[in-house]
Amino acid sequence: MADQLYLENIGEFVTDQNKIVTYKWLSYTLGVHVNQAKQMLYDYVERKRKENSGAQLHVTYLVSGSLIQNGHSCHKVAVVREDKLEAVKSKLAVTASIHVYSIQKAMLKDSGPLFNTDYDILKSNLQNCSKFSAIQCAAAVPRAPAESSSSSKKFEQSHLHMSSETQANNELTTNGHGPPASKQVSQQPKGIMGMFASKAAAKTQETNKETKTEAKEVTNASAAGNKAPGKGNMMSNFFGKAAMNKFKVNLDSEQAVKEEKIVEQPTVSVTEPKLATPAGLKKSSKKAEPVKVLQKEKKRGKRVALSDDETKETENMRKKRRRIKLPESDSSEDEVFPDSPGAYEAESPSPPPPPSPPLEPVPKTEPEPPSVKSSSGENKRKRKRVLKSKTYLDGEGCIVTEKVYESESCTDSEEELNMKTSSVHRPPAMTVKKEPREERKGPKKGTAALGKANRQVSITGFFQRK
Amino acid sequence: MFSEQAAQRAHTLLSPPSANNATFARVPVATYTNSSQPFRLGERSFSRQYAHIYATRLIQMRPFLENRAQQHWGSGVGVKKLCELQPEEKCCVVGTLFKAMPLQPSILREHNLLPQPPRSKYIHPDDELVLEDELQRIKLKGTIDVSKLVTGTVLAVFGSVRDDGKFLVEDYCFADLAPQKPAPPLDTDRFVLLVSGLGLGGGGGESLLGTQLLVDVVTGQLGDEGEQCSAAHVSRVILAGNLLSHSTQSRDSINKAKYLTKKTQAASVEAVKMLDEILLQLSASVPVDVMPGEFDPTNYTLPQQPLHPCMFPLATAYSTLQLVTNPYQATIDGVRFLGTSGQNVSDIFRYSSMEDHLEILEWTLRVRHISPTAPDTLGCYPFYKTDPFIFPECPHVYFCGNTPSFGSKIIRGPEDQTVLLVTVPDFSATQTACLVNLRSLACQPISFSGFGAEDDDLGGLGLGP
Repeated sequence: MADQLYLENIGEFVTDQNKIVTYKWLSYTLGVHVNQAKQMLYDYVERKRKENSGAQLHVTYLVSGSLIQNGHSCHKVAVVREDKLEAVKSKLAVTASIHVYSIQKAMLKDSGPLFNTDYDILKSNLQNCSKFSAIQCAAAVPRAPAESSSSSKKFEQSHLHMSSETQANNELTTNGHGPPASKQVSQQPKGIMGMFASKAAAKTQETNKETKTEAKEVTNASAAGNKAPGKGNMMSNFFGKAAMNKFKVNLDSEQAVKEEKIVEQPTVSVTEPKLATPAGLKKSSKKAEPVKVLQKEKKRGKRVALSDDETKETENMRKKRRRIKLPESDSSEDEVFPDSPGAYEAESPSPPPPPSPPLEPVPKTEPEPPSVKSSSGENKRKRKRVLKSKTYLDGEGCIVTEKVYESESCTDSEEELNMKTSSVHRPPAMTVKKEPREERKGPKKGTAALGKANRQVSITGFFQRK
Repeated sequence: MFSEQAAQRAHTLLSPPSANNATFARVPVATYTNSSQPFRLGERSFSRQYAHIYATRLIQMRPFLENRAQQHWGSGVGVKKLCELQPEEKCCVVGTLFKAMPLQPSILREHNLLPQPPRSKYIHPDDELVLEDELQRIKLKGTIDVSKLVTGTVLAVFGSVRDDGKFLVEDYCFADLAPQKPAPPLDTDRFVLLVSGLGLGGGGGESLLGTQLLVDVVTGQLGDEGEQCSAAHVSRVILAGNLLSHSTQSRDSINKAKYLTKKTQAASVEAVKMLDEILLQLSASVPVDVMPGEFDPTNYTLPQQPLHPCMFPLATAYSTLQLVTNPYQATIDGVRFLGTSGQNVSDIFRYSSMEDHLEILEWTLRVRHISPTAPDTLGCYPFYKTDPFIFPECPHVYFCGNTPSFGSKIIRGPEDQTVLLVTVPDFSATQTACLVNLRSLACQPISFSGFGAEDDDLGGLGLGP
């Protein structure tokens, strides 16, 4: 009989598995109404007691009712052991309800285990916690996730008067399932965070070790998850907005410094707290750089002794950054590149192309549009550098890196060296699934070694050299 | 009341299972309007002085006090400003009180000394009252209860100024209750459950079972059919502050070395997760209003802004969850509710000789101001246009949370206003919540208990001799 099934079930739970069977636990386990579960428990207890089998059953009851206390009629709800049941009942003026709360084999010292049992079963059934309840509320309808995220956005906008950046931030945190594009967009206004996300993505690919800050993890996770489609967006977002101008202007003096710092710590790159996760697209790392440069400069100010020639460094940084983005430009197209801030603009058109290219092809494709553009004129110095990167191949990337870094601070001619070294790093980075960090550092360091020997034409030349 | 209604149905649960199990529908929300808009802050600027809030408070309260003065001492009484006072002339003056307390913690006195240890009350026999109006101030003496009154109260005093420059008070009065719109009568019993001081994250296991029992009663899992039917008439639950325990605010990590605390999580994170689960269970079954309290993660100054929904990812999926301000004002089924999480009452308790929280609650209603001690001793936003803590209208139910014990009283006003005052006790300590019956405006405490190893017969239930 179906009726007997539940009896067997309860018997099994209580005696064989030695569980504490509360009415709520039984209700969720058997999928029955709570009141039915209470009745089942009562029935089981009655039958077992009648059978008078050896098994000892301890029962707790729930008693509720009213009681006059301090002049108020106080409604009491209490879980009591069986032996105290009658005493409690006698004290209540009006008894509203009595029912079995739980059955267990062992005598309970206190009600803690009852709570734990209920809590555990509730945790595993959180989404339909009122399914078997005796009260159903028509108004309690869970909202669809899209609705709730939009409403949370509205909340932020209307009540918190947040700046766009913080709004994006909140969206990022509340809207965990948001589309990649939105994430990228939201990252972008965040500037530095976006920088870290992209850079971190690149970094992770480079190195196995990751030093992550919590923020990084968030952004990285999101960045990693959406790197492919996000890349193209990021690039376009990154450059499409006014941020680009801002970055160009702001980062001029800082880029070089940051690049230096980045290069400075090829081995220490791992420990860098800022760089974290994967999606190491050179594009993204390049993009990240301008923003990152700003932050890094502040944070690593102590470590890096900035050279006097900040403008040159800026140019170098810019060049290097672009190299990172477009790691595989043809070396043949490498040419001496004049310091021109306009080089950045050249790059902006290039990022948009493949919205979701695979990691490796991306850097390869990137250099190509720039290469095409490089021929367009003197103004697009950056493009030329990009093109150059491919030509260099050098197994001694590490050493080169160091030298490049040093020479970076000196003269224009060394810029070329720097670029060469950075291009040197490019190829190895690509083979290793891009480690823009090392690339950046490598080229810089390697420049010195290559230095005079190679004609420094473009910054990307460094990466290719490697 | 709740219990009697619950006991009316037959007991069915001590019997073999039956096929039919009744399910009750929650009473639908008839009318609900949230009137807490005055307590919402948009753009905030803290560059203003606090003098403006006192100025606007006096300006707003002056007409009420002049009316009351005329009612008390005749329409011919002259209401004068302090600058117009003539010696030995009986008149009435309206102004703001300032109580000069030597024991009041003051940074000006303590800046180069160790701060004094916190006390439960800062009153002292040497306290003095000073009345201030727009231009001047004057010391008060006479038949005025110095220990009971607190700074920031606006009142009207009747008396005359003496030769020593002090004002001899013969009588004084407050603005008393504001006008009240009568509540429309209800035909069925509807309840609102008031809970405060859940104190999650406090490490007390006993209160967790109590909290779970509370949630189970409200959501209709616990109890017999009669009780579940009554619980279905609970139309709203208001959580009045201190959802997190005081211990979640521990600032140990500030004193420890960074390397020790780098990976540790704030205690409030775990507590907020637990709160989210509880809110999920509640909001899946009943509309819930969550007010922040003294230990909750929101701003410190009054009015406290609602908790952010991002902290409750599970519960905010339900539209029945509402995160509201402290103080909170709403009209539920035609009954006007106004309440705070208790900071105003406990602050007055510290600076006044009044001992009973219910008495203090009534007193704030009579002076027509929710928290007169703000901004003097209670943090407050520097308002300058209006003082939102003045009662524009008298509520039907006025509550405050986190009091040491339950109390409820019905008071009457001079214009036949009827107000139910409720002091909601701290749940983590007392395991007691309040059920307000909207139809009869009565309040019944509801308490929960488990059993412990050391409990004697009924001690745990409070049913002992």
